[in-house]
Amino acid sequence: MASIKLSHITKSFGSVTAIKDINLDVVDGDFLVLLGPSGCGKSTLLRMLAGLETISDGAIYLGDRRIDGLPPSERDMAFVFQSYALYPHKSVGENIGFPLLMRYFRWWFHIPILGTIAKRRVERSPEIAQSVTRTAKILGLTEMLDRLPRTLSGGQRQRVALGRAMVRQPEVFLMDEPLSNLDAKLRTTMRAEITKLHRDLKGTFVYVTHDQVEAMTMGTKIALLRDGQLQQFGTPREIYEDPANTYVAGFIGVPSMNLIRSRYSDDGFRIGPVKITLPNRLMAAARKANCPTLLGVRPNALRIGRSDEPHALQGTVVLVEQVGAESNVSVELTADATSVEQDQSSNTIIITTPGYSELELGTLISVSMDLEQAVLFSAKTGERIRA
Amino acid sequence: MTSGSWRQGMHISAVLALLGVAAFPIYWMLVTSLTSSAETFADAPRLVPDLSQLPIYNAVFSTTQIGVWLVNSAIVAAGTTVLSISLAILPAYALSRLQFRGKGLLGLGLFASQMLPEVMLVVPLYAIFVTLALLDTLMGLILVNSAFTVPVVIWILKGAIDSVPVELEEAARVDGCSRIEILLLIVAPLIAPTIAAASVIAFFHGWNEYVFALTFVSSEGLRTASVGLAGFVGELITPIETVMAVGIIYTLPAITFYLVAQRYVVAGMTSGAVKG
Repeated sequence: MASIKLSHITKSFGSVTAIKDINLDVVDGDFLVLLGPSGCGKSTLLRMLAGLETISDGAIYLGDRRIDGLPPSERDMAFVFQSYALYPHKSVGENIGFPLLMRYFRWWFHIPILGTIAKRRVERSPEIAQSVTRTAKILGLTEMLDRLPRTLSGGQRQRVALGRAMVRQPEVFLMDEPLSNLDAKLRTTMRAEITKLHRDLKGTFVYVTHDQVEAMTMGTKIALLRDGQLQQFGTPREIYEDPANTYVAGFIGVPSMNLIRSRYSDDGFRIGPVKITLPNRLMAAARKANCPTLLGVRPNALRIGRSDEPHALQGTVVLVEQVGAESNVSVELTADATSVEQDQSSNTIIITTPGYSELELGTLISVSMDLEQAVLFSAKTGERIRA
Repeated sequence: MTSGSWRQGMHISAVLALLGVAAFPIYWMLVTSLTSSAETFADAPRLVPDLSQLPIYNAVFSTTQIGVWLVNSAIVAAGTTVLSISLAILPAYALSRLQFRGKGLLGLGLFASQMLPEVMLVVPLYAIFVTLALLDTLMGLILVNSAFTVPVVIWILKGAIDSVPVELEEAARVDGCSRIEILLLIVAPLIAPTIAAASVIAFFHGWNEYVFALTFVSSEGLRTASVGLAGFVGELITPIETVMAVGIIYTLPAITFYLVAQRYVVAGMTSGAVKG
């Protein structure tokens, strides 16, 4: 297995730049998740890694070997497609064994009858047959080796696609939203299976998804992209706890982080008229920035208190969503304590409370904050402010 | 009668009527071939074949060269089919998948080539055939027939290749296939039903073609069935029952080929319905 290095990767389609100067270092054995909304360039980046798209500028290294000029088959990477891309006319066994067959394929295999016999012999050779059987056994496909893909369920097809990738024992596995066509329950199962596969194979995985739950649960590293630009690269914990900008803060976490408009002045840090006591780390950052800021607080760091608490934000309950184990309470802050969400137009923050919330709509409440995990962003640029 | 069964009755009647219109000439040909010369021109035509006339089919084979003509026609039709499909699949793939300068013009050119009537090309082609020594050869006929079928076949195959998901080709590229291997191992099997349909078109063109076969082939032994059949029509006398018997014999191999190919066309349609 090998490390991957992306150096100043750029991709342009005519005058449109889809990928802008991306640098990434993926360590051997990492499970990198390329995360971002539709159209952010994550699939394009993956396809460039695979060699299915050319790069406009930059270089890709697999270990010490530069691979961006090589055809896909010479990169020693396997690709799992969103649509599975199983060969409909080949059985499950033939699909899984196809990459191995191609290693032994000769031009004269195209000759009718003679070629067919030769292909059969190669497919039935101990080396290929055993690899296919072993892979099928790992994925629970042993009973289905003779079936055609169209007779399989979505989950089974997905496993065949994984099998076709595994059988080659490639240095890198590339996966383009492989679970997006599955229903929610199957997705959870397959998520665990792919994570286990990564653990067992100890390979380097690059996985594209727009689903942050997949990213957080499966990845050892996440690269968050937006409009072809890398927003942040780090472990899931770093991305969640230490977001680089308001975009990352808003993208990761359900419900997303509250971004509350705030300001530091000589008499302290305030949200609207309410004076807030910040931890030293944040206070130092706010003082240093000395500009309008956005205080980023996760919904689970907010507590609902009585309406007469001092130094607390006041607001009215406008929506209560029961999620089961917890409730998401949307609170519209009073006009003076204007808060913002991602779109900077709303005046509503979300609080996650444990259990079933009995709050009625329209109730006036106060909101207290645990600011130990809070972060501060520039209101102007959206970039993180650090001490 | 409910409106559903009434509609079904109408539907069946319409299909039977159309079938009758299509099948009647063949039936008439059969009846006429099995009618004696005396009866053929009788005022009240025979509607049921006279089975006592069946030996005429034996006689046709012994008195005419229909066996040789059929073999020649089969060689020309099969050759045209194989050559057309082999020549058309590469440009069809290129037109479907590759981006290159002049692609639109090429597509238009293929269409334009279909606008020229065959007769107009007889003289220039004759000159070319003389130069290339292709006159009076079946190979010449195969070549000239293919020239007419290839553009049609290219467009038919292009449409089928368009419908093959690009991901399958990309998967094959990652799995180690070259372009030509992708075409032969992945794309061709998936468009097999269309290849069968295109084969039917090419085969029938080769089987039915008359003008070139008449002009470019003069040896008796190389004559195709279409020309041979027309040879019976004399200025003064035409043996109707012989012509019709030969006509029936001439039609049968073509129908057989169609029935065989049609099975693949239909099988392909249903197997392709579920995306794999």
